[in-house]
Amino acid sequence: MDEPAYTVVSDSETTGEEKSSSAFPEIAIGIDIGTSQCSIAIWNGSQVELLKNTRNQKMMRSYVTFKDEVPSGGVSNQLSHEHEILSGAAIFNMKRLIGRVDTDPVVHASTCLPFLVQTLDIGVRPFIAALVNNVWRSTTPEEVLAIFLVELRAMAEMQLKRPIRNVVLTIPVSFSRFQLTRIQRACAMAGLHILRLMPEPTAVALLYAQQQQLTVHENMGSGSEKIALIFNMGAGYCDVALSATAGGVSQIKALAGSTIGGEDLLQNMMCHLLPDFESRFSNHGMNEIKSLGLLRVATQDAIHKLSTQTAVQIDVNLGNGSKLSKLVNREEFEEVNQKIFEKCENLIIQCLHDAKLEIDDITDVILVGGGSYIPKLRNLVKGICKKEELYNFINPLEAAVCGAALEGAVASGISDPFGNLDLLTIQVTPLGIGIRADGNNFVPIIPRNTTMPARKDLVFTTVRDNQIEALVTVYEGEGVKVEENHLLGYFKITGIPPAPKGVPEINVCMDIDASNVLRVLAGVILPGFPHPAIPVMEIRLPTVDDGHGWCAEALHKTYGSTLDLETVQKKI
Amino acid sequence: MMNKARKKLWKAVSDVVGRTLPYSTSRRFETYNPNNSSQSQTHFLNSLSSSSQLQIINLCPPHRFSQNVIFSGKNFCSESADNSACWNCNAVPKAAPFLFCQSCRTVQPLHQSLDYFQIYGLDKNYEIEDENMERKYKDWQKKLHPDLVHSKSQREREYAAEQSARVIEAYRTLTNPLSRAIYILKLEGIDVNEEETVSDPELLTEIMEIREAVEDAADSKALTEILSPVQEKLVQWSKSFAYAFRNQKFDEALNCIRRMTYYDRVNKEIMKKL
Repeated sequence: MDEPAYTVVSDSETTGEEKSSSAFPEIAIGIDIGTSQCSIAIWNGSQVELLKNTRNQKMMRSYVTFKDEVPSGGVSNQLSHEHEILSGAAIFNMKRLIGRVDTDPVVHASTCLPFLVQTLDIGVRPFIAALVNNVWRSTTPEEVLAIFLVELRAMAEMQLKRPIRNVVLTIPVSFSRFQLTRIQRACAMAGLHILRLMPEPTAVALLYAQQQQLTVHENMGSGSEKIALIFNMGAGYCDVALSATAGGVSQIKALAGSTIGGEDLLQNMMCHLLPDFESRFSNHGMNEIKSLGLLRVATQDAIHKLSTQTAVQIDVNLGNGSKLSKLVNREEFEEVNQKIFEKCENLIIQCLHDAKLEIDDITDVILVGGGSYIPKLRNLVKGICKKEELYNFINPLEAAVCGAALEGAVASGISDPFGNLDLLTIQVTPLGIGIRADGNNFVPIIPRNTTMPARKDLVFTTVRDNQIEALVTVYEGEGVKVEENHLLGYFKITGIPPAPKGVPEINVCMDIDASNVLRVLAGVILPGFPHPAIPVMEIRLPTVDDGHGWCAEALHKTYGSTLDLETVQKKI
Repeated sequence: MMNKARKKLWKAVSDVVGRTLPYSTSRRFETYNPNNSSQSQTHFLNSLSSSSQLQIINLCPPHRFSQNVIFSGKNFCSESADNSACWNCNAVPKAAPFLFCQSCRTVQPLHQSLDYFQIYGLDKNYEIEDENMERKYKDWQKKLHPDLVHSKSQREREYAAEQSARVIEAYRTLTNPLSRAIYILKLEGIDVNEEETVSDPELLTEIMEIREAVEDAADSKALTEILSPVQEKLVQWSKSFAYAFRNQKFDEALNCIRRMTYYDRVNKEIMKKL
């Protein structure tokens, strides 16, 4: 490596600067880490190619087993039986758990997985452990993800016969910036450098842009703008994007996402089949884990079958003499999961509204992810978008990873003589970013769906006479109250010149640069004075670390409303 | 490198901090009593547009210190911006605007003198046909976007970040009728004080009624019904502005802008609730 031996980067720096010294830039690989499945792809010089593992699989199960001395993941591991994953020794669903605290409902919903997810409900990271030789061995989602990524990396290096460092990773739309830092941490642990983190549907949008570009070349037609609605539902997350594509450029118009997915469908169904299943398995004994695993496999299998048949017979022996035997039909499945489907519908409507687009504007509707096989979802999306047919030139399970691989090639500066990499995605912010003000309200400074890079500012003022300090608490999300949002960090502005309340102008500026790094700048001005009263503060966010859930509460307890801020009329 | 980025940010915040100075008006009427109609109206007017304090503040001479900060910050760009040739290969540009060198495919430094209309190859008219705007926007982004110069030099990456941001800003400004109106007047040397009030009681009553209706609106259908007349008004005043501007009646143009500002705010509020 010709990199300097010692480089001091900022403590909060998780990515590091890109160093491109070689004449032949390394092509970044695309990785799609799904909640249940994972895939890896690369631009091979003429097209995107999915890499296969030694068992000839393009889709690898996302899990890590802690059975032997060396943990092994779904990339290399040969499963003797599906139930092995469910024996308590394997950790999966890490994408759902990463960067979440133990008060998060998503973590709570994970407590009836076969491995141990323990919550103390105080806002710290949950205790996660795998059962190894009858001992609960603790681990973290980051560690599990890193082990998995190392396997993926080794597999890719072996096939490509070169070291792999740069990656483009796809992420759910609803991931907070704090969760992104956890993903970055896992990648760093695996020796990977993240070139880009792409919201999943935007990766699909890039693939769509390339396909449209090709059709234009072939038909020599005028490449008019096409609006695509992309709906992605995987095991853990649901995302919607609207993109406007022309000439290989896809401008994301709006994003919407939520933590709903196949995992919820599965849990609702298990609850339906065995109403007391949660309490039945809460003590995590050996026998309970085993029968939970059996139930899980049977239910999952039934859901898959219900995509093609209208009814399915479930017969499963749960051990201890209890046996489940039931005929389930498709209507039942849809009924049980009605709320989930309603949420999907709302996400699409919200996304259309945010994009300021009408249903008639949509050229193509693209359904991807495992959920795209569910008839109810297909009909629901077709219904909202008033389309008879869905776009079917995209493989629903491979679309995201292919898009990531394209982005990997584009961002690595690779060009293609046939113009196949003449592509660009212009991203928007998936969540609003703002601060706490006007009481306990979340006041967004950069609203969601703002084109990146972005810089916006808002003026705030003090709430008390002679208030000389103010607390700037930065949140990300869509909730009206701060507690409904993700805390990213906080800092105190000190040395505000004493003045009546409402007089000092506290300008809070947020800046997201081209590498998606968020910085917050705060300056204080007294009207009539030409210079900022105190040095401007610049903070790179997020600054919160693990166990941050209680921070906001602690701040509130210590300071109450004494350091509060309120909004001043917005400037344009 | 880190330092430079920091300096740039600082420049930005001082720009921002400085810019807010002359027009600042605070919304401090947090605890108004809805039963007291006169007070509620004060509150309403304040949040609507500007307040009585505004005039007082406006009497202060505008502080222009921030401009120096901005200009000194632009040194890095302007040194080569004076040159009309490409900073990288010295090729003379074939076509204006010169944001990107066709010969060596390199992003050029920012030219402050270039206005938004020029960037989009438009004549300096208020009424623009925007069918091609999105395409031009995408064409520029495809040449200038920071994502595409990831493997290029630090210098070019900075140019790309600036140019790309400016193309976005230009697009945003020109595609919105109100911001386009404000911008085109600014190019004529007329600064629009957006906080200035309109003393037309009819308009104020109308706006207040719309707001009340928005408050009372039960569902999105009711909101949509309020929305369409507001948007019609926006279009109407936008047309009046175009006429006034074409005939160089700048006072009338300013009046149109103020009215558009009111409707635009209500429009945004309704959109937010929808």
